[in-house]
Amino acid sequence: MTVVMALEKKPLIRFDMNKCAFCKICELSCAEQHYGSYGEAISRITVIRKNFTLFKCFICTRCDKRFCVPACPKNALSYRHGDIVVDERLCDSCGDCVKACPFHGIKLHPKTKMPIICDLCDGDPRCVKECPKQALSLIWLQQTRK
Amino acid sequence: MKYSGYKGKVLKINLTNRKVVTDEVTDEFARKYLGGNGFAARYLFDMVDPRIDPYDANNVVAMMTGPFQGINIPTAGKYYMATKSPLTFGYFDSVSGGFIGAQMKYAGIDGILITGKAEKPTYLFIDDDKIEFRSAEKLWGKRTGETQELIKEEDGDPNLCVSAIGPAGENLVRFACVITEYRAAGRGGVGAVMGSKNLKAIAVRGSGTNDVADHERFKKWMDWYAVEVKKVPALATGMPTYGTPALVASIGKMLGAMGSYNHQTEWFEQWELISGERLKRDHWVKDTGCPACPIACSKVFRAKEGKWKGATSEGPEFETLYSLGSMCGIADLGAIILGDISCDEWGMDTITYGVTASFIMEAYTKGLLTKEKTDGVDFKFGNDDAMIAYIEKTAKRQGLGNLMAEGSRLASRIVGGDTERFAMQAKGLEFPGHSARALRGMALGYATATRGGSHHDARPTGEYAGASDRTAVDGKPAWVIGTQQMTTIGDSLVQCHFLERLLGFTLTPKYVDMINPVTGFEYSFAELVDVAERILDLERAFNVRAGMTRKEDTLPKRTLEEPIPEGPSKGMYTDAKTLDKMLDEFYVLKGWDQKTGIPTRAKLVRVGLTDVADVLNV
Repeated sequence: MTVVMALEKKPLIRFDMNKCAFCKICELSCAEQHYGSYGEAISRITVIRKNFTLFKCFICTRCDKRFCVPACPKNALSYRHGDIVVDERLCDSCGDCVKACPFHGIKLHPKTKMPIICDLCDGDPRCVKECPKQALSLIWLQQTRK
Repeated sequence: MKYSGYKGKVLKINLTNRKVVTDEVTDEFARKYLGGNGFAARYLFDMVDPRIDPYDANNVVAMMTGPFQGINIPTAGKYYMATKSPLTFGYFDSVSGGFIGAQMKYAGIDGILITGKAEKPTYLFIDDDKIEFRSAEKLWGKRTGETQELIKEEDGDPNLCVSAIGPAGENLVRFACVITEYRAAGRGGVGAVMGSKNLKAIAVRGSGTNDVADHERFKKWMDWYAVEVKKVPALATGMPTYGTPALVASIGKMLGAMGSYNHQTEWFEQWELISGERLKRDHWVKDTGCPACPIACSKVFRAKEGKWKGATSEGPEFETLYSLGSMCGIADLGAIILGDISCDEWGMDTITYGVTASFIMEAYTKGLLTKEKTDGVDFKFGNDDAMIAYIEKTAKRQGLGNLMAEGSRLASRIVGGDTERFAMQAKGLEFPGHSARALRGMALGYATATRGGSHHDARPTGEYAGASDRTAVDGKPAWVIGTQQMTTIGDSLVQCHFLERLLGFTLTPKYVDMINPVTGFEYSFAELVDVAERILDLERAFNVRAGMTRKEDTLPKRTLEEPIPEGPSKGMYTDAKTLDKMLDEFYVLKGWDQKTGIPTRAKLVRVGLTDVADVLNV
């Protein structure tokens, strides 16, 4: 992914509920990718199962409204090159960004208490690569970012 | 801890006085007993007097993990439970898929040991260091799905992992299971022991992590796995596409070795109607899997038309197609799907329920059980209405259900006559769908297994694949020992046995290659074999103290005296003399006394169990 492309189009990790087998390999891979360790609480993607067939996936959608950015009382969140970036020097772990995100795309790291948000793994998301059922895909929406 | 994959902590929880004691898991203990199966076997041997009644408050329910839980290693999204079984009255363990094992690691514990009896219905809630005894009075009587739902609702976290029992467990049905999501720690009545402790459920959430020792080597192993698994058709396409129901065609049709009509035959003429192909074509809704498993052999099936239209379940799997299908003479997939989910919801093992129902059907057909005793129900083979209706009645112990709740061995003793001949079980545990007559290894395997009729002690897969001749007697004891060692290591890592087609049907050095990068043990193959033997001897020692010796290592008369009457495996069986011959060799190879089947002092000392030899007084 080039920076130019990222600026021109909007990336989205799309989740296909019908393909997902609820194996959580996306969560485990995400944790390994970012922290070299494994844990649900340090995964930036979350999949839950409501019943036989209803599965849900929560991850930063890179929405245009960016509810999290203005929600931060310390101005620690900013939007740069398509990602929500956290300035850890400013963040005081209040969790307002977590509450503000309607997509449940933000968690606080259980140890550092810093917000953890999907960064698309530099354009080659590990969760998408590892999904054995191809339930996750990275797509580029044909619309420029606002 | 020096080694990875462990949290160094096992919780001893007493429900009577609500005391929690933390037991440290030392480096030496982890290396000696590996995890899951090994940990539980050691703890149960030390904590439980094997002579007590399984429902005694002093019995222990162990919920364990191995070093593989919570990490991204294929097929390890499981957890392990053990107790003294109310069905076999010996050491019993049951492994189930579910993320709760990973959550235990994330909460910083390797396992929990539950003893005592709560005064009122209770469920355990573990959130990192917080352990709460919460009231389950509103949950008592609820089925497993609703129970999990209500606990998640009360907590507000849809991701909370809950293992729950159903009404069958509460009412001490001897084969009650524990359900997590839609998967079951099914066999041997762990759920009933939980019920006897007034323990409705265990909920766990953790915010921590689990790690591997050597990332570089672990990644190399994962890369090796990704390439090699594609060369194994069963794992690359068979299981992902059809799941275990694919076995109906290979076992039922090709081998004619799928127990039918309570093992009166092993040729089910309607096999095609309950085959994996038909399930996939007409009933498949979606694939699901255990956590961390890329194979995803589980499927959601729905009856889209017919008498049982609308019935939906995660499953049935092969064993349930056998127990509720061919054994009961039922070829309507809708009924089997409904029976599968009903057993899950009421909280009981589908294999034991189905085999017990087929036992009742045979006794009824032969006039040994009159219509008076069957609540006026025409309990003949093929009666799907009765099979479905008596799931609820068994869970509630109503009418004939009260007899069925005892399992086939105890039921046959109550019914009397010569019915024990066709109670299809070993040590009280009903046979799964892998023939003791068409597979020589399974005859010896069921007879010698700690649990009895379990296909996860000795494994049938190698004989199906032709790695060991299924008719051979020579060399079979060594083969069976190898498969039992493999499953014991699998149950200690708490990993699915399906990787056997890749790593070896018996214990092989390939298992060492997988374990070392994760734990850092740097086991040699010989040391791993010793770990397996140590655990198996501990289980055996538990059973010996419970009163089981060589005379319990046997099979029902039907298996030993009646050849398979028809089909591709016509004429096959293992008679008592052949079984005895194999047993003699088996005990010698194990280092067990040939006359009694009790481990010898020399063997126990060799695997580092001198204290066990002292307790056994050998």
